[in-house]
Amino acid sequence: MNFGFSPEQEALRKEVLAFIKENLTPGVIAEVEGEEQEVSAGEESAGRKGLARRGPHLSELYRRIGARGWLGITYPKEYGGQGGDRISQYIVEEEFARVGIRVGLVGSGAPAILAAGTEEQKRDFIPRLISGEYSFALGFTEPHAGADLANLRCRAVRDGDEYVINGQKIYTTAAHVATHIYLMARTNTEVPKHDGISIFIFPMDTAGITVRPLVTIQNNPKAPVGTTYGAARTNEVFFDNVRVPKSALLGGENKGWRVGSTGLNLDRVGASRYLISVRRDEDIVNWLKENRHEGNSLGDDPAIRDKIAEMWIEAQVCRLMTMRSMSIVERGGNFTYEGSAEKVWAPEHGTRITEAITQMLGPYGQLMNGSPRTIEKGIFGHNVLGSFQSGINHGSVQIMRDQVARRGLGLPSQRKAQGARK
Amino acid sequence: MTMCPVCGRAVDEAAAKVQTGQTAHGAKEVDPKQGTRQFHDGKWYYFDSLGCRSKFTARPDEFLKKPAQ
Ligand SMILES: Cc1cc2nc3c(=O)[nH]c(=O)nc-3n(C[C@H](O)[C@H](O)[C@H](O)COP(=O)(O)OP(=O)(O)OC[C@H]3O[C@@H](n4cnc5c(N)ncnc54)[C@H](O)[C@@H]3O)c2cc1C
Ligand SMILES: [Zn+2]
Repeated sequence: MNFGFSPEQEALRKEVLAFIKENLTPGVIAEVEGEEQEVSAGEESAGRKGLARRGPHLSELYRRIGARGWLGITYPKEYGGQGGDRISQYIVEEEFARVGIRVGLVGSGAPAILAAGTEEQKRDFIPRLISGEYSFALGFTEPHAGADLANLRCRAVRDGDEYVINGQKIYTTAAHVATHIYLMARTNTEVPKHDGISIFIFPMDTAGITVRPLVTIQNNPKAPVGTTYGAARTNEVFFDNVRVPKSALLGGENKGWRVGSTGLNLDRVGASRYLISVRRDEDIVNWLKENRHEGNSLGDDPAIRDKIAEMWIEAQVCRLMTMRSMSIVERGGNFTYEGSAEKVWAPEHGTRITEAITQMLGPYGQLMNGSPRTIEKGIFGHNVLGSFQSGINHGSVQIMRDQVARRGLGLPSQRKAQGARK
Repeated sequence: MTMCPVCGRAVDEAAAKVQTGQTAHGAKEVDPKQGTRQFHDGKWYYFDSLGCRSKFTARPDEFLKKPAQ
């Protein structure tokens, strides 16, 4: 077992870093910050059209990244990828994520399409998800179905060659900027609840979809780049007699539970998910090195040095867990609980480190974006809020622990355990 | 106009549905200050707030049986 990178991988990282140095122009930075602001603009953005499309600098940057072969590295060439390896993807994702540029497909829905889509769906969606032309909003959670997702009630009823959808979703991140919705709906009410669920993918401009903004703690004041996992604004989405063709179905009628949960699990594999937690360690280390605070260098304080070292060790665990997941998937291994374990450790590490930073910086750590005395655009304060967010979205830490217990440790499922105790 | 089944406050269901904006890729957007709704047993119910709707979600039968005064 060799924990190091190969000389080729080291060379790739150097190449990526040199590329970033050359191409991260002020024009690109302004567009990255602008994009994030628009995406998280919340209630004020309601009513404006054409948000979150890439500006000219970012479009050109993505064209150049694509020309290097760094987009969709692990996806097959026939679907617009590079047929490359996960560790290369990891290196590229990690370095771009550090500067706020998203190149991986974490949370995109692409793994589920590759695993369960028809040939036509793969050819339509995967290249466009890779290029960024398409993006999905994930429509899973409902007012009465969150951690207990299988209780979902959004109904899809077959009518000839179409399905008619009625119901609602909540906390739908990015529904206001996505091109498509990736929707879990109930197609059979007569069978056990997990067996009557299907997944549909269809455009957001399909007649009958209504989006109601739902702003989160990261919205006001607006979160700076890199402090949130995904968009700060979420939404409610309503479906009133929405008609979709049966070709919108992903993975067959009533097969949605398996397709969805496998897809969600694979969607967690990637550097960007963990990096948001680790960046907070890097941010504070850099800040302590470069700044004096009320006349003193905080980095000299033994209590602070001790805490920072402890947190850095934790951060390395996030990184190793991510690399393990990528290596399992690369080898085609059975990937069951590892992503869940990572999805507990990284968000909770994020909460611990942001809390520790708040203690170190005192009230300065609580000044938010836009405050005249704020340091570093309020990243430290916003990171506190963002850390709570990532412990809930895309599967809460409690649900992730349950998956570790069942899939990793072979303990009985919660339902069975409760039944046995009665 | 209808009544929030939980607290009895007036809710303008037309206003809750009227288009006030459009998402980047063409879905209708509504004003979040105009209340929300829930699809329950094949019918939409309207609420003045998410808070009231959460109560309804927990115990719909209670609020449907005995309309708020
Ligand atoms: C910022 C943000 C973005 C989100 N984006 C999306 C999105 O894009 N698409 C989407 O579909 N959803 C999204 N969600 C929703 C998220 O997935 C749900 O909030 C989550 O699944 C929890 O569901 P719930 O809100 O219904 O809470 P509940 O299910 O009511 O749970 C409340 C709390 O209790 C815990 N809990 C519940 N059951 C158990 C149990 N059996 N044992 C131990 N603890 C338990 C939960 O972990 C949680 O902490 C987002 C949420 C947030 C906060
Ligand atoms: Zn009410």
